[in-house]
Amino acid sequence: MQTSSPFNPVSPGAHDISTLFIVTLIVAAVIFSLVTGLVLFASYRYRQKEGEGEPPQVYGHRGLEITWTVIPGLILIFLFILTLITMHKSDPTASPGTKADLVIIAHQWWWELRYPQAGVVSANEIHIPVGKKLYTLIESADVIHSFWVPQLGRKMDAIPGHPNHIWLESDKPGLFLGTCSEYCGAQHAWMRIRVIAQPEAEYNAWLADHQKLPVFPTKGEAAKGLQVFEEQTCINCHSIAGVSSNISIGPDLTHLASRKTLGTGILDNTPAGLTRWLKNPQAVKPGINMPYMKLDDKQIKELVAFLETLK
Amino acid sequence: MNKSKLAVILVIGTEAVFFTLLILAFLYFRSVAKGNTPEGLLDVVKTGIFSLFLFSSSFTVWRAEKNAEHQKIKRSAFWLFITMLFGVIFLTGQGIEWNFLIRHGQTISRDLFGTTFFTLTGFHGFHVLAGLLILGILFILSLTGNFNHKNTVNSVGAVALYWHFVDIVWVVIFSIVYLGVKL
Amino acid sequence: MSNSVPTVRNIDTISMPGEYKGLLSWVTSVDHKQIGIMYLLITLFFFLVGGVEALFIRIQLARPENTFLSPDAYNQIFTMHGTTMIFLVVMPMLIGFANYFVPLMIGARDMAFPRLNALGLWLLFFGGLILYYSFIAGGAPAAGWFSYAPLSEKVYSTTTGMDYWALGLLGIGVGTVASAINLVVTIIKYRTKGMSLKRLPLFVWMVLVNGFVILFAMPPLNAALVMLLVDRLLNASFFTVTTGGSPILWQHYFWAFGHPEVYIMILPAWGIISEVIPVFSRKPIFGYEFVAGSSVAIGLLSFAVYAHHMFTVGLGHPFNTAFAFASMTIAVPTGIKVFNWIATMWGGRIRFTTSMMYAASFLILFTIGGLSGISFAVVPVDWQVTDTYYVVAHFHYVLFGGTLFAIFAGIYYWFPKMTGRLLSEKLGKLHFWLTFIGFNMTFFIQHILGLIGMPRRVYTYPNLPGWGSMNMISTIGAFILAISVLVFLWNLIVSFRSGKPAGDNPWEAWTLEWATSSPPPPHNFEKIPLVRSRRPLWDLKHPEDPDWKHES
Repeated sequence: MQTSSPFNPVSPGAHDISTLFIVTLIVAAVIFSLVTGLVLFASYRYRQKEGEGEPPQVYGHRGLEITWTVIPGLILIFLFILTLITMHKSDPTASPGTKADLVIIAHQWWWELRYPQAGVVSANEIHIPVGKKLYTLIESADVIHSFWVPQLGRKMDAIPGHPNHIWLESDKPGLFLGTCSEYCGAQHAWMRIRVIAQPEAEYNAWLADHQKLPVFPTKGEAAKGLQVFEEQTCINCHSIAGVSSNISIGPDLTHLASRKTLGTGILDNTPAGLTRWLKNPQAVKPGINMPYMKLDDKQIKELVAFLETLK
Repeated sequence: MNKSKLAVILVIGTEAVFFTLLILAFLYFRSVAKGNTPEGLLDVVKTGIFSLFLFSSSFTVWRAEKNAEHQKIKRSAFWLFITMLFGVIFLTGQGIEWNFLIRHGQTISRDLFGTTFFTLTGFHGFHVLAGLLILGILFILSLTGNFNHKNTVNSVGAVALYWHFVDIVWVVIFSIVYLGVKL
Repeated sequence: MSNSVPTVRNIDTISMPGEYKGLLSWVTSVDHKQIGIMYLLITLFFFLVGGVEALFIRIQLARPENTFLSPDAYNQIFTMHGTTMIFLVVMPMLIGFANYFVPLMIGARDMAFPRLNALGLWLLFFGGLILYYSFIAGGAPAAGWFSYAPLSEKVYSTTTGMDYWALGLLGIGVGTVASAINLVVTIIKYRTKGMSLKRLPLFVWMVLVNGFVILFAMPPLNAALVMLLVDRLLNASFFTVTTGGSPILWQHYFWAFGHPEVYIMILPAWGIISEVIPVFSRKPIFGYEFVAGSSVAIGLLSFAVYAHHMFTVGLGHPFNTAFAFASMTIAVPTGIKVFNWIATMWGGRIRFTTSMMYAASFLILFTIGGLSGISFAVVPVDWQVTDTYYVVAHFHYVLFGGTLFAIFAGIYYWFPKMTGRLLSEKLGKLHFWLTFIGFNMTFFIQHILGLIGMPRRVYTYPNLPGWGSMNMISTIGAFILAISVLVFLWNLIVSFRSGKPAGDNPWEAWTLEWATSSPPPPHNFEKIPLVRSRRPLWDLKHPEDPDWKHES
């Protein structure tokens, strides 16, 4: 997996920004070298030597002033033009009435995901098809957050009452990491983003899987776990299609077992991790909205067994 | 220009920006409120009358300033007193209006109108009160034989300038909030 | 025409004049020199507090998933670190220098309003106390130094920390405006005979421009703060979305203050550099009119660029374009200054005192910060790096490598004038190198951390390749900085007690503060030299080639 850097672009928009960034850095490097070179040279060449009097007193030079006004001005005009071009190219305006392919709603401290046209609801791990542009709405349910996956392009703030949009796209398959990028309270650090770009066939399969209702276990620990889920107030905050739906206080768990991490990136999604989380989520990620549920070990075991069936 | 006047001009500059921003917030929220504005509760005539006292006090404080310049100290004290009286009458009117609104459920927390109205008129009233306190100090100085010093006389002019400013801010607020003037 | 000769204070009697003795005389003082020193002492104290907060941050971030600080404690500490350094250190430290030196540099006896001066000082002090009281009143504010709504609203920030933050800042803000008014009126009305505006020392010019920027930048902050308090304490709706308010309104008002604020924090620093470099290069400032004029341009433009902090809010391409244009424009007058300072050094006879070392490295470090700043004006680049450690690197380069280095240059330059004793050059050089190395080690690598995806304001981070080791390097740098501060404190203490006596003008400088004893008498001057140019003392010493023959 490559580093999550703007300099490892995998989308056309990110490529454009990366190129512009490199041009900007080159310009900066040249100016830096010039200034530093001059300061160091002057420091050495004109350092005070023994027994010298005052040097010639020079008050200014019109020509120089004009030069170092005009040349930087021209360089900036150049950068400004490139800025305009890349701004429009990497983030084209959508025509009015464009339908959302994906809606990302930021919460304190997890990402709600909705694929409206497919009727799919998920959380935290975003699947997209390779080579297709998804018109993605960025919204917030509470405070200001910001959606950022460096390799895929620009960040965009998620502001309550002010929906934004980006074009989400990847040239190639892979896992691309990102993070919430606007301080949003206690657990801003653990609001990680995982975007999984898949070839279109695989993506469609994933989508189809997610449209299906889960088959609920009818016996054994897992069945008991379903009961625990219903009785221990989990359904007040979490949706599982077929049990409770349209609740987004906490992440949708319908296909929890298909995700690689828990707690928006803080734990790996393994039985051990899930057990630790259920034992006391506040001990893992203090300050989040999921309380210490005071479940006993038996209930936790059953719950884990049940949740593991939700692929 | 003496240093006191210069200082007050700078104060006016900074406070003008402050009030402009509160007024902008009022205008912004009024424009997005989609017509649900309860200005019907505001008594334009009553507030208008109380406002006349504030506007007149600009004249009275000008007289106080002129008399101080000519060292007619007793008269200056008199005009200062009238200025303060008019200021108190204005604030009383504000208080009566606020009381009426709050009793009828239009509190600061009820809606955006309450939020912006009370904040804007509240801070204006606060600036009037501050002005009254300073005028009070000048009034006492005038009675205790301190108006013969040039700096003190200059302060009267400077404070008068501040008072005119507070007046003008009210002209703007009254026009926008009570008369519904749109910008 | 007689040129006056300044009085030489007897070396044996170098101490604070009688009036300055006793704590009560200090606390009740309205003398600009005492007030200036108190500003410097109070801000030095808060600098140490803010520095400890920084060390806590760096300890927590030294390793991935560290548990030195809880998330809540970390969030309070980074909020207080930023708030402290900006409002209780950098801004008032510069005001303190201005307080002490502006009257001296213009040949005045004190500020226009000495009691207002004291008011400004004590509002700073008590505003700071109110802010810090929050730690023991249920928790310090934890919404970041710019406290975006709705996170800062009651429903998401439930402790009283935010209220103390707003109240403390209001107090400090009023004090700052009072100081600005005082400085502007003093400069306009109290210049000695012959000192036209075109002959003002550049430090005074910068303070003058700065005064106006303060006057117009503080009101947006004050408006935003009162609106936040009204929301929180009276359940109003300025910024709460659920009741029709607008979080974006907060951002507009805050940044309308916040951007000019960074110029408030650099303008006087540029003034210090403009005093120090000429003296230690033994030449007049190159291009005086351009350095002064470009500062006026920057003061004005600073209000037109603010929304470059909002490029990711989604306000549309036209909006972003306008602010990108203004932000790039402001780079031109900034560059003009750097080139003029280099040209001042060019052809000189440079004496590398500690002060000059700080000033020369300012040129390099400030340029780095300025260049990363320009990269933010390139909107799509901003879309990638805003809110990452690249930003943290940028602003520490301009505020630390820039302003703080300039402040150190100013301290080494002016300490002799204030105390009558020179700071130790030996300790000074050690201080300088530790600072230079520690600073660059701490912050350069943060550019890279930002460029590999590390966001800012996070109490920890996942164990991604390189993140841990780079953060560790940054933390080690921070501890080197801590040691440098200790060396500095030691220098201050030792030199104050037994430093080499300085005399009136140890640097052979040319502006009026050097035309009196070190420290100056309470009334500042026994006799003020005639002012016919920007360098009255040069004219006195070189009657065969005075400045006024060359100035326009």
